[in-house]
Amino acid sequence: MSIMELNGGSVIAMVGKDCVAIASDLRLGNQALGISSSFQRIFPVTDRVYVGLPGLATDVTTLRERFRYRVNMYTIKEEREIEPETFAHLVSSTLYEHRFGPYFIEPVMAGLSKTPSGGYKPFIAATDLIGCLNFAKDFVVAGTASAKLFGVAEGLWEPDLEAEDLFETISQTLLNAVDRDAYSGWGAIVHVITKDKIITRTLKARMD
Amino acid sequence: MSSPGFNFSNAVRNNFLQEKGIPLPKATSTGTTIVGCLFKDGIILGADTRATEGEIIADKNCEKIHYITESIRCCGAGTAADTEFTTASISSNMELHALSTGRAPRVVTAMTMLKQYLFQYQGHVGAALVLGGVDSTGPHLFTIHPHGSTDKLPYVTMGSGSLAAMAVFESSWKPNMERGEALALVSAAISAGIFNDLGSGSNVDACVITATQTEMLRNFVKPNERVEKERRYTFRRGTTAWKTENIRSLIVSEDITPVSAGGDAMDIS
Amino acid sequence: MDRIDMNRLKSGEVNLGTSIMAVQFDKGVVIGADSRTTTGSYIVRIVSRMFSMAIVANIYISQANRVTDKLTHVHDRIYCCRSGSAADTQAVADIVHYYLQLYTQSHGSSPPVSVAAGVFQDICYENKDGLSAGIIVAGWDKEAGPSVYNIPLGGGLFRQPWAIGGSGSTYVYGYCDATYQDGWGRDETVNFVKNTLSLAMSRDGSSGGVIRMCVITEDGVERLFVPGDQLPKFWEGREVLSAPVKKSLALAPMAIE
Repeated sequence: MSIMELNGGSVIAMVGKDCVAIASDLRLGNQALGISSSFQRIFPVTDRVYVGLPGLATDVTTLRERFRYRVNMYTIKEEREIEPETFAHLVSSTLYEHRFGPYFIEPVMAGLSKTPSGGYKPFIAATDLIGCLNFAKDFVVAGTASAKLFGVAEGLWEPDLEAEDLFETISQTLLNAVDRDAYSGWGAIVHVITKDKIITRTLKARMD
Repeated sequence: MSSPGFNFSNAVRNNFLQEKGIPLPKATSTGTTIVGCLFKDGIILGADTRATEGEIIADKNCEKIHYITESIRCCGAGTAADTEFTTASISSNMELHALSTGRAPRVVTAMTMLKQYLFQYQGHVGAALVLGGVDSTGPHLFTIHPHGSTDKLPYVTMGSGSLAAMAVFESSWKPNMERGEALALVSAAISAGIFNDLGSGSNVDACVITATQTEMLRNFVKPNERVEKERRYTFRRGTTAWKTENIRSLIVSEDITPVSAGGDAMDIS
Repeated sequence: MDRIDMNRLKSGEVNLGTSIMAVQFDKGVVIGADSRTTTGSYIVRIVSRMFSMAIVANIYISQANRVTDKLTHVHDRIYCCRSGSAADTQAVADIVHYYLQLYTQSHGSSPPVSVAAGVFQDICYENKDGLSAGIIVAGWDKEAGPSVYNIPLGGGLFRQPWAIGGSGSTYVYGYCDATYQDGWGRDETVNFVKNTLSLAMSRDGSSGGVIRMCVITEDGVERLFVPGDQLPKFWEGREVLSAPVKKSLALAPMAIE
């Protein structure tokens, strides 16, 4: 048993047309034993940046607080909100600092970044547990169902999905992947970030 | 939190878990083909673009040719995070070195910084590098192994696809090649890695460095383009059943109600 | 106290499998080395596309460099031959090189070979737990003339008229003992080094490639190069079992040339 599989859980993020979505299951387990079906592992960083922290649950809490501290310090010093690209590097350097005693978390980030013309550009990224950044143009996945998520997302994702279509695609990808993963499931939550609103929905899912 | 260097605060906990028989998870590694080659006017570096996590392809189009200075670049193989952060740190130190000396820094300087950094960590920083560039003393090409040993050669390969790529170089490399010929050879060497080594794949990146300019040829060859999907898999809206919904509006709306009408004006006399 | 594992090499480390040698003669020293470096880090999977089945093979040792220069300059008339870990020996040689530059600046004259060997020994002995480095230091100086120092794995320091080192050396100790004589000139010494290394390289799988040599005298350093296809040849065996049997001779119970 790997330490990454102790508590279970998976996260996925996808790019759409002028929007992004990030979704995860809600299970917290102790190996095969289910503990909670309402475990939050996706957190808002700013209005338009979200981060998902699949992995060891104790590190989910630790890293969430660590990121909150560093983002607050950034906001105070810079007197502006952090951009998703900057936040990705903040996550990356925080994890690499612990290169020789890592947190067992593989963060997934999704957000909209401001363009010079005043618009918003979709942004997603993921890192491994020591902070190697992966800027994908389509989707990123992590967690115990990552292998299944890769497969389903590779088949279902397509470019330029509108927010509501992206919601369906990411939801179906997540649900179908976690249904084949024993350590993920027990409910799911989806956040779709657009330029003027964030739609958060909890999905009807298998509870076994 | 702001002290420099690595933080070992989780090491005790993680060693405890490891001793209990729980293996530490794998980091992303670039099971890679990277090469470098000397030609008439300078150096050409090449790399594939696949990053793997075990048997999963984590990134199908990652960048493995890293910036050191304008005329020095470095290909990385091994633990992806280590190659990324090691080259970024040496790039930063090279910039500071250039600023303090007022000269364009040399390739040997980067090589020495890298080998001393890697030797310090005794191979635990798993970066296997191909360093190439042109400086005031001419073109230079080095390999740097994770333990800090270096080699200087006219053509080099590294990573899991190094044997496939070296086979191409050993059969076809010759001194004083023209740019086009050398670029074709580098492409062939990387392609050998892409098609014969499972750890390497996707596209060919190349970087041509001469005394006058550096050309980064990102996705120089794309032999593994995904064909367009024949059918679409968009779901009809409403397919997914959901239980709760929360919509947070990011639009700040203000209603301004003038209150002066009818009231007494402020005495400003 | 725990015994030190002398053959320890960190996993995946670049290894100078090596045959190295240094011999002094009346006017100077001749040093020589093979050119092979290997690494054990590659686990390569080769998939054959000829068959529908994938053939997976692991290759553990591969060549990192086939024309390595293991004769390393540390001062004008002082060189070292490196064996063991490439990273460790390069790091040590870099430190000694730096130290000898400082020495020259502060003393106003070139350091004797004994000083260089002393610095090598200090580093190798003080860090014996962390280093795998077998080094031969050789050169010429005003005080002692030509000299050869051997610094084997534990960090000892031995002055010798000739020294051999590296994994290939074990095969040729007998040859050196039987062949070496005092009072040779340059050419005889060069031949001795060339022959010894060729014999070592042919028996040791971790040694091979070309022979690089340096002749260090008061006048300067002369580099010699023997390509891999021009190495001195010795008896290389012949096929016994499949060779046609001469009818006139009775079949010998054992093949003896």
